[in-house]
Amino acid sequence: MVKAGPVTDRAPIDSPDSGVRPRMLLAFDQSAYLPILLIIMMAIAFAVGNIGVSLILGPRREGDVKSITYESGMNPLGTARKRFNVRFYILAMTFLVFDVEIIFLYPWAVSFAQIDPRSPDGSLFLGRVLFFLFTTVVAYVYAWKKGVFRFD
Amino acid sequence: MIEKLAQLHPEIALFAATCIVMVLGLAKSSFWRGMSVWVTGLGLVAALVLSFFSPQTDGMLPNSLPYLKAMIAAIGLMILPLMGGTVDRWYERTVGRGASFDPLRVTRGEFYAFYLLSLMGVMLCVTADDLIWLFLALELTSLPTYIMVAMSTPRLRSQEAGVKYFFLGALSAATFLYGFAMLYGATGTTQLQDIAIHFRTEGMGLIGTLGLVMALIGVSFKIAAAPMHFYTPDVYQGAASPVSAFLAFAPKAAGFVVMIQLLSTVGWGWGEHGIALPEALRITLWVIAAITMTFGNVLALLQSNAKRMLAYSSIAHSGYMLVGLLVGPGQGPIAGNGLGAAMFYLLCYGVMNLGAFAVLACLEKRDEHGELVEIETVEDLRGLHAARPGLAWAMTLCALSLLGMPPLLGFWGKLGLFTSGISAGEIGLVVIMGLNSAVAAFYYLRLVRAVMLDTRDEDMDRPALTDMFGRRVAAGLSAVGVLVVVIWAGQLQAASDHATEVNPRIRQFNERVVEAEETPVIESIARND
Repeated sequence: MVKAGPVTDRAPIDSPDSGVRPRMLLAFDQSAYLPILLIIMMAIAFAVGNIGVSLILGPRREGDVKSITYESGMNPLGTARKRFNVRFYILAMTFLVFDVEIIFLYPWAVSFAQIDPRSPDGSLFLGRVLFFLFTTVVAYVYAWKKGVFRFD
Repeated sequence: MIEKLAQLHPEIALFAATCIVMVLGLAKSSFWRGMSVWVTGLGLVAALVLSFFSPQTDGMLPNSLPYLKAMIAAIGLMILPLMGGTVDRWYERTVGRGASFDPLRVTRGEFYAFYLLSLMGVMLCVTADDLIWLFLALELTSLPTYIMVAMSTPRLRSQEAGVKYFFLGALSAATFLYGFAMLYGATGTTQLQDIAIHFRTEGMGLIGTLGLVMALIGVSFKIAAAPMHFYTPDVYQGAASPVSAFLAFAPKAAGFVVMIQLLSTVGWGWGEHGIALPEALRITLWVIAAITMTFGNVLALLQSNAKRMLAYSSIAHSGYMLVGLLVGPGQGPIAGNGLGAAMFYLLCYGVMNLGAFAVLACLEKRDEHGELVEIETVEDLRGLHAARPGLAWAMTLCALSLLGMPPLLGFWGKLGLFTSGISAGEIGLVVIMGLNSAVAAFYYLRLVRAVMLDTRDEDMDRPALTDMFGRRVAAGLSAVGVLVVVIWAGQLQAASDHATEVNPRIRQFNERVVEAEETPVIESIARND
C-alpha cells in the first residue's frame, strides 16, 4: 500500500488521531524537504547568477552577425518550412532507449545484491530484468532492420 | 508474484507475437512480410486459449478474466481478417513489379504490432487492480490507436483524424489522471480494494467524489460517451473502415472495464440489495447515459455518410451500455445483473458492428482523382442487393441486429440491459432507452432500404469489390455470428454474469461494517481484513 507524502516516524499514519485526512496530509516532517529547497535555491541562484554575470561582464557589440538568428550556428538560408532529415532525431531516440535501460538497471543491480541468487526469488528477479533487456533488444533489432543506422 | 504472472499469460502471448510481427514486417522477402498477419492471428489464438485458463484474481472482479479476455481475443480475431492488407497495399504492388524493397516505406509490421499492443492494453485493463496500472493500461490501449488511425490510409484526412484523436485523447488522459490523483489524495492508496475499504469506512468526502466523477468523465472519452464524444464521427470517417471497426470495439471495451473497476470501489456489493451507488455518481452516470444515447441517435438521423452514421450509432450504443453500469451487479440472477448485461452487450456490439464496417470496407469506388477509395455514403450503397447480394445480406443482418430486431444477436443484448434497468427501478432511463431504440430504427432501416430496396441509377458507377478477400471473410463472419451466436446467448450471458461478480472479500467486509455500524471500531476491521 502506497501512502501519501513522505511520512516519517514522527507522524505515524496509523496513529489513532490520523482519522482526519487534511491533518494526515499536513503531518509530514517538513525538514525532510530541506534538500529539495536547497536544490531549488541553487537552481535559481545559478540561472540568475549567470544572467547577472553576463550582464556585468559581457561585451556589447552590434552588427550584422550579431543580429542573425543563430549567432554562432549555421547561416539561416532559404525557407524554414522545407523537409529535413530526421535520422539524427531517430538515432537520438534509439540512444534514449538504452539510456533509460541503464537507469532501470542501476537500482536493480543495487537491490539484486541483497537477494540470495540461488533462491527462487533470485531467479525470478533475474528473469524479469532479462525480459526487460530482451524487449530493448527487440526494439534495437527493429530499428536496425528499419535502416535507422544507415547513413547514405 | 509468480501467481500474479499467471493472470498475464494471454498478454504475454500477445506481447511475444508483437515482438515477432514487428521485425517480421520488415523482412526482405514478401513471403515473410505476408506471414506477419498470420503470426498476429496465431498470437490472438494463443491468447484466446490461454485466457480460458486464467486464474481468479484478487481484484474487484475476481472471476472476470476468463470471460473478458476471451471476448477481447475473440473479437480481435474477428477483426483481424478485416485488417489484413489495409496498409502497404500500393507499396507491395510496386515491389511486386520489381522495385527494390525499402524498409522505411513499409508499415505493415508496425500496424499489426500496434493492433496487438492495443488489444493487450485492453486485457491489462481487465487484470488491473491498481490506479497506476489502470492508467498505463488505458494509455497502452489508446496510444497505438492514434497512430493506426493516421497510417491506415495514405490520405491527408486520416492524418487529420489521427491528430484530432490524439489531442482529444491527451485531454481525456489528463482529465482521468487528475481524477486518479484526487482519488489518491482522498484515500492515500492506489489499490482499488483499499480505496473501496477506505470509502466504506470513512465515506467518500468531497475530494473522493470529485476524483471519481472526473475519472469517469475522462474515461468516457474511450467509450465515446458525452461529454467526450465529439471526436467520434471525424475520426471514424477519417480512418480506414477496418480501423474504425477496431476503434468502435477496443477502446470501448477498455473504457467500460475501467469504469466498472472504478465504480466497484463505491457502492456495489454494499447496501441491502447491493446496488447502491452514491447519489452524485448515480446522477452523473444517469445524465451521461441519457445524453449520450439521445445525442448519438438524433445526430445519426441527420447523416448521409454511412461511416459517420455508424460513428454516431457507436456513441448511442455506449449510452445503452452505461445503463447496465448504472444498475450495477444487481441481486445476482441473469435478468438483474446490469454489469453482466453490459459486458454481454459489448460482445454483441463487437460482433455486429464489425459486419457493418466490413461491408463498407469491401466496396470501393473511384474518387475525383481517379483513385480507388472505400465507399462511404449511404448513396453508394444503393441497389447493392442486385450487384452483390451476399454483402447486401450481411449489411442487412448487421443493421437489423444493431437495431435490436428480435431473433438476432443485438436483441438479446438489449433485452438484458432493459430487464436489468427495470429490476433496478431505473424506469425513467429505460423509457429514454426505449424511445432511442425507436429513433435508431429510422436510420438503421435507411441502411437496409438502401441496400435491399433501392435500385441503382443507370449512370452510377458500380462499386467495385475490393481484392482483399479477408474483408469479405470478416463481413461473412459477422453476419453469420449475428445469427449463430444467438444459440449460445444463454451460456454467454451466464458467463458474463459470473465474470462480473463483485469480490466476495469486499462483500464480506461490507457485511461486517453493516453489523458494526454503530460501534466506533470500524478502522480496526479495515486493518485486520
